[in-house]
Amino acid sequence: MGSEPDRSPTMTRIGWRLVDILSRMLDTDERQAVRGDFAESGQSVARAIRDISDLVVRRQIGLWTVWQPWLALVGIACLAGVPLSRIAFRLNVELGQQLAVYYTYGVHLGTLLTPQQDIAWLLCLAIALLLWSWTCGFVLGSLSGPAVWLTWSVFYFMVLDFASVRFVLSGNIILRDSQPVRILMAAALPLNPAGLLFSFSALWGAFMGVRRRVLPSRTACILASAITIFTILLTWMSGWYETAHELWSSGAWHGDSWATRLLPFVVVSWPITYLLATANRKQTHSHKETT
Amino acid sequence: MLGEFEYLILSAATRLGEGAYGAAIRQEIEETTRQRCSIGALYTTLDRLERKGLIKTWMGDPTPQRGGRPKRMVRVTANGIRAASNFYLTVTRVSRGVSWEVNRIALRP
Repeated sequence: MGSEPDRSPTMTRIGWRLVDILSRMLDTDERQAVRGDFAESGQSVARAIRDISDLVVRRQIGLWTVWQPWLALVGIACLAGVPLSRIAFRLNVELGQQLAVYYTYGVHLGTLLTPQQDIAWLLCLAIALLLWSWTCGFVLGSLSGPAVWLTWSVFYFMVLDFASVRFVLSGNIILRDSQPVRILMAAALPLNPAGLLFSFSALWGAFMGVRRRVLPSRTACILASAITIFTILLTWMSGWYETAHELWSSGAWHGDSWATRLLPFVVVSWPITYLLATANRKQTHSHKETT
Repeated sequence: MLGEFEYLILSAATRLGEGAYGAAIRQEIEETTRQRCSIGALYTTLDRLERKGLIKTWMGDPTPQRGGRPKRMVRVTANGIRAASNFYLTVTRVSRGVSWEVNRIALRP
């Protein structure tokens, strides 16, 4: 052991720093034991990096042998991520159009609705986006545990980019003077209002989910009520646009039915049922214990 | 039935007795098998053996030799000793009469 030559003190220092960073992905006791083993056996930095990487990979793979991270990945990052991405995209486009027209011409963009209706719609959409993002983030963190860095990353990129990529691929958006760095930044960073609302809310939710795992029953009920109210409100308010367009086109335009408009909001709201179920279960357990 | 690596760990930990912990078990296995033993394989197998109830592990006291870090101490349980004995008996039984076993006996001084 310890037979491999180290190239230089600087390389060795960088190598041990890398070992230190990688070992942070292990739990505290294991990290201490492994670093102690390295120190005791006088292991070379090259072998230490190989060994710690091997252990980290095995531990990360081990996290995926249970169903919870898979549910987080498929159910939240992919299933709820798609409608959430479209909702965020819609908020960005409509808010951006309104602000651009107001600042350029000083008037309200003609959407066939009153300015008050448009403001109410955008405000409700923004609040609902915050609530959905936090809830999805919390359940993602709760289900994923130490695997949250992967499930959250998939969720983040799915919400940030799915709708934009879909529009680009369908030809509805044409990228002009596309510079790779700008496209990469737009795809990776939350550089718009909806992206910021989503990112901070989902990150906070995931952080809380990893730490607390379940919500108190009362908090879960309040959150569920708020999400239900906003789901109903948004389904109803999105009908304003459909009705206005039908009137404007003298019946030629056939808008989406309420059921079609409700579906994405329901899909993105499913994590709240998980929160309610786990909060209730915890309460039942503690009730049984006391009786 | 134990796996080969599980058996190696149980044997090494039993031989080391009170002094059985991660680095010592690893060194014991490397010296006896003359093969590298990765920390990843060692620690994940220790977890598996503990889940099966064949060993018990706990964090020992920190030592200066280890940069003030604790050891993961290992003790083989009664079930572990039974499982390792069964594995050894099975390997001995199944090897009876095969060429390498016969040759080994013939070569014995």
